[in-house]
Amino acid sequence: MTLAASGITKRFGGLTALSQVSLELKPGEVHGLIGPNGSGKTTLLNLLSGYYRPDAGVIAIDDTPISDATVQRRAALGVARTFQKPRLLPTLSVLDNAMLGGWRDARAGFLATAFFLPQVKIDERELRSRAEELLHGVGLSHAIGRRANLLEHAEQRFLEIARGLALRPRFMLLDEPAGGLTPAEIEQLGAVIRVMRESGVGVLLVEHHTDFVFRISDRVTTLDVGVVIKHGTPDEVKRDPEVIRVYLGA
Amino acid sequence: MTYRWPATLIVMVALIALPWWSGDLYKLHLAALICAYWVLIGGLNLVVGYSGQLSIGHVGLLAIGAYCFAILAGTHGVHPAIAIVASGALCALCGLLLGLPSLRLPGFYFAMATLAFALIVTEITLAQGSLTGGGVGLPVPGLPAPFDTPRGTYWLILAIAALVTWLSWNVARHTWGRGLVAVRDSAVTAQAVGVPAFRAKLTVFVFSGFTAGVAGALFAVLQSYITPDTFVFDLGLFFFVCIIIGGRGHILGPAIGTIVLTALPEMVAPLAKLGNFFYGLLLLAVVLLVPEGIGRVVELLVERFRPLRGESHVVKPDLERLAKAIQDGQSK
Repeated sequence: MTLAASGITKRFGGLTALSQVSLELKPGEVHGLIGPNGSGKTTLLNLLSGYYRPDAGVIAIDDTPISDATVQRRAALGVARTFQKPRLLPTLSVLDNAMLGGWRDARAGFLATAFFLPQVKIDERELRSRAEELLHGVGLSHAIGRRANLLEHAEQRFLEIARGLALRPRFMLLDEPAGGLTPAEIEQLGAVIRVMRESGVGVLLVEHHTDFVFRISDRVTTLDVGVVIKHGTPDEVKRDPEVIRVYLGA
Repeated sequence: MTYRWPATLIVMVALIALPWWSGDLYKLHLAALICAYWVLIGGLNLVVGYSGQLSIGHVGLLAIGAYCFAILAGTHGVHPAIAIVASGALCALCGLLLGLPSLRLPGFYFAMATLAFALIVTEITLAQGSLTGGGVGLPVPGLPAPFDTPRGTYWLILAIAALVTWLSWNVARHTWGRGLVAVRDSAVTAQAVGVPAFRAKLTVFVFSGFTAGVAGALFAVLQSYITPDTFVFDLGLFFFVCIIIGGRGHILGPAIGTIVLTALPEMVAPLAKLGNFFYGLLLLAVVLLVPEGIGRVVELLVERFRPLRGESHVVKPDLERLAKAIQDGQSK
């Protein structure tokens, strides 16, 4: 079971953001995606999660093409993501934000919900316990009942991860999850990502903190101006002269 | 909240007993009118307050519901109970037909579409004289026993208002409510967790159409005679303003908004003279002072009386628990 992009080209007007890019995300691995600003990392993440359509190439889960599937459809197929700038629902509680991630597992329809049929209670109990366990797991026990607009930055990042995990994803796409975190918080983030990997989730890690990426990734892909310049194990990528030249510096 | 149920019970008892303590029939009529408005606003609240779609044209649906009831129950002698349900069904259908093309539009244009709809309905009621009585209007039959007295009418409308409150409460408090708030506050988040935004918006819009139709029928009964002038566009704005003043994402707030905005101008004579100026002033005050509305003010007051929990912001992952939670999810 893999989430794969092959030969992806994406243009915005006259600008070619990605050119012939391929990437494979397997369950139970952390795949780092690095590159200078504007190299197309977030564009690729948006293509994988369905916010953009590729101009050429195919995105597929296993051998089923999903290039034209909506974001919602991909969520249902097990693709979850977080955002560079956390996007939470500020007026809802932390628990409600995490429970939102379980939307697709709620079976009660609109009328069943309005008339409070038994299925609503079953859904609610299941989603609540799932969300609570995940919130305790990512370390937000202290904030479960709080309104999300009262959270500090690191809490927001971890809440987004909990919401993503509430989708029961097979693939988790993290868009600069370490941005704005302290070194201690980055360590905790690393531990959380390792747990996701060990539980069989495929994690795509788009990140600027290269030390962090090399430390926890199984494989790393480096982009520069929309082209893959190196793909391999962290050690291979770290030593690649081209990567050093365009990104890491001597 | 432990005192939610006792508080609800006390309010319910007070409302049911209203005919004995309200004093005169006019106040009872006013209370019935507020309840009829709430039947519409309670449904509209899911559209405006939860899914964030700014409909200012629900007065058009109210008019359709009212005329449907007057024509069925009056002209054709259909049983009023059936006529009320038919009014709701017709307006749900109108909501579907209006929502299908317009709910894809961004906020401002959607509001304009609903505005246009309300204006068209007024023109149709004027033009189709053989059906609606044109500018002269239509008499509206009363309800059958035991609802034919002012008290009986009030109790029926109160019961329907309570039902609408309960239905919208159920929607707002569960998965659907969270999905709607996501559609309102962050479209990309809604997508990312798999909420089908258009379908969700359309569903609550059709629901609000149904409650608007039922409200129209009840409103017509209370008016006992309807003309196109009964459904001035101001009324549509009034419904909208009740929700904004009450606070988006609340149910109690808009309910208080409806009561205050309907009752105050009637009870305090000087305010009635001010008319729309009063609504404008109140709206301005709320938007400037408490942009989140009355509902948020109530919430903050309630929080005052709760013991403060520690204000820790430290994230401490529990990795074993996390691993178990993720694996539980995957094995389902």
